[in-house]
Amino acid sequence: MRILVVEDDPGIAGQLVRALEDGGYTVDQASDGEEGYFLGDTEPYDAVVLDLGLPVLDGITVLERWRSDGKTMPVLILTARDRWREKVAGFDAGADDYVAKPFQMEELLARLRALIRRSAGLASAVIECGPLAIDTRSARVSLNGEQVKLTAHEYKLIVYLAHERGRVVSRTELTEHIYDQDFDRDSNTIEVFVGRLRRKLGNDVIVTERGLGYRLIDAETRPDDSA
Amino acid sequence: MLRIGTLTARLVAVAVVWIGAALVAGGFLLAALFEAHVDRAFDRRLDTLLEALVAVTDADTGAKGVIRVLGPQGDPRFNQPYSGLYWQINQGRKIRLASRSLWDKTLTLKDVPAVSNTEGVPVRRYEAVGPRVQRLRVIERDITLDEAGPVLRYAVAGDLAQVDAEFRPFMVTLIWSLSVLGIGLITAVMIQVYIGLRPLDHLREALGRVRAGGAERLEGDFPSEVRPLVDEANQLISHIGEVVERARTHVGNLAHALKTPLSVLANEADRGEGPLAEAVSRETAAMQQRIDHHLARARTAATAGVLGQRAELAPVVDGLGRALRKMYEDKGLAIEIICNGEGPRGALAFRGDAHDLEEMLGNLMENACKWATTRVRITAAPSADGRLRITVEDDGPGLKPDERAVVLARGKRLDETVPGSGLGLAIVSEIAGLYDGGLSLDTAALGGLSATLDLPQAVG
Repeated sequence: MRILVVEDDPGIAGQLVRALEDGGYTVDQASDGEEGYFLGDTEPYDAVVLDLGLPVLDGITVLERWRSDGKTMPVLILTARDRWREKVAGFDAGADDYVAKPFQMEELLARLRALIRRSAGLASAVIECGPLAIDTRSARVSLNGEQVKLTAHEYKLIVYLAHERGRVVSRTELTEHIYDQDFDRDSNTIEVFVGRLRRKLGNDVIVTERGLGYRLIDAETRPDDSA
Repeated sequence: MLRIGTLTARLVAVAVVWIGAALVAGGFLLAALFEAHVDRAFDRRLDTLLEALVAVTDADTGAKGVIRVLGPQGDPRFNQPYSGLYWQINQGRKIRLASRSLWDKTLTLKDVPAVSNTEGVPVRRYEAVGPRVQRLRVIERDITLDEAGPVLRYAVAGDLAQVDAEFRPFMVTLIWSLSVLGIGLITAVMIQVYIGLRPLDHLREALGRVRAGGAERLEGDFPSEVRPLVDEANQLISHIGEVVERARTHVGNLAHALKTPLSVLANEADRGEGPLAEAVSRETAAMQQRIDHHLARARTAATAGVLGQRAELAPVVDGLGRALRKMYEDKGLAIEIICNGEGPRGALAFRGDAHDLEEMLGNLMENACKWATTRVRITAAPSADGRLRITVEDDGPGLKPDERAVVLARGKRLDETVPGSGLGLAIVSEIAGLYDGGLSLDTAALGGLSATLDLPQAVG
């Protein structure tokens, strides 16, 4: 899951990036409206944390431009402007949630998780998929009730597949959602991660569709039945 | 008529004094002129009678000659006893002949200096007491009937009551007509003052509309004398609005400036451990609460009571509804909005600042969404006494009567675990109070809490 943080205050931005990375997200950061708009418009983010009082380009304008460009990723506005008029304007511009500063990091993470989950059409914070259970709150994965230790990248990959459950995800798409923009992308590393995940979670959990990419096994399918 | 109090009263009072004085002075002048005229006419008549008498009297030569009246005496009243018209002919102090009307009485002739009458003939003119104690006017001339004869004093006297009899009806007419004229003039002045001061009445009505929230500035056609005042007032009203807006912007900037570092501090403290982190955590939370509370108060206190404010209810409620449906999308709440204005629903408006209305309704509606299980209902309608009544209901757990008082107390929150600003209902109650309104809590028909705002309604 790749998150964009658009925030001009370095203190808040640093804390957000740290907390989000600790929560198992890949994070890009922009410190003004122009840069934020460009990133959000060109990179495939799963969610955006957007400040309103930004240099160069105001947060509301950035959001309105994204929406008119047809960008549908969930956007959480994080701002010190806490009057209702500003909240209504934020939602009318296309925001999906609104958190006023000062905020509690835990609350922000919970709301962000809920947004990502909602946009993926999932009902619960715990994604269950056959024998697999992924708790997005604690970033823990268990297989048949037993906890499995995963590295950050392995977790990011399995969580993304879980959110896109039932759909075939290409290696390029996986790369885009797992690495931040500065990473030297090599889609071969994806194969390495998939191999490690299969070793830890069983071969059947991740299905390879030749020439297309990967998908997570269907919730209804028994692991034994899959090819 | 005296609707503008002392101003109308002053103008009318001055007019009454001035008109009264002018009419009284004019009345006295007219009366004096008429009296003099009547007096002169009476004198001339007596003079004419005297000349006629001279013409019909004859005297034998010699000092002791007999004086005789040879013809009619010019007026029959000379022959009626005590008729009020008399003549008497003296030779020095001695009475030679007198009119029959004098009967057994005589006139006492006075030796006053002679004056010229209208034809330049010297006459003596004075008043005397008549046979019936009337006041008489006496006209007397010295006549010598023949060159050798004695100087005879011909005196003709008339009752002055005749002058009065002519003068009195004139005075009655005069007083009556001047009074009518006076009343007419005063009425005209009052109408003039009323019409002249009507722009001030209009100004007051326009100000009333602004105060009632029906207009944002003074509107209407005013004469050029009042126009500058209206323009000044309008500028003042818009200036106040600008000052308030500026103050609010500054307050907002202060809030933004404080909240971001506060967030950094709080989040750092949450990550750390030990007494310092705990203290920072606790104190930043307290600072946040206090900033929220006082900023909310300052924003509101700056706007309550400013003239010319009006906030349409429907757009505010609709906007909040849109935002809250999104915020509580997970709960799938049904948010129902019923704005029962008279006529179109846009007719309902709050007499006050739109920001304050948004804060009050936003907090109430968010609170309802937070606790509701499936439904939230917002009902707005004018009350019987012309105020705006907005009820926000939910189907959540509601509050017991003793909890309701606690929740309205400043800065209190019943359940610290449910996220929110922590001011919620208390600040709503405070803002409503600044507008002479109030917040009351009850059990909703839907089963949960019902919060009713009572606010001043903008009319017109």
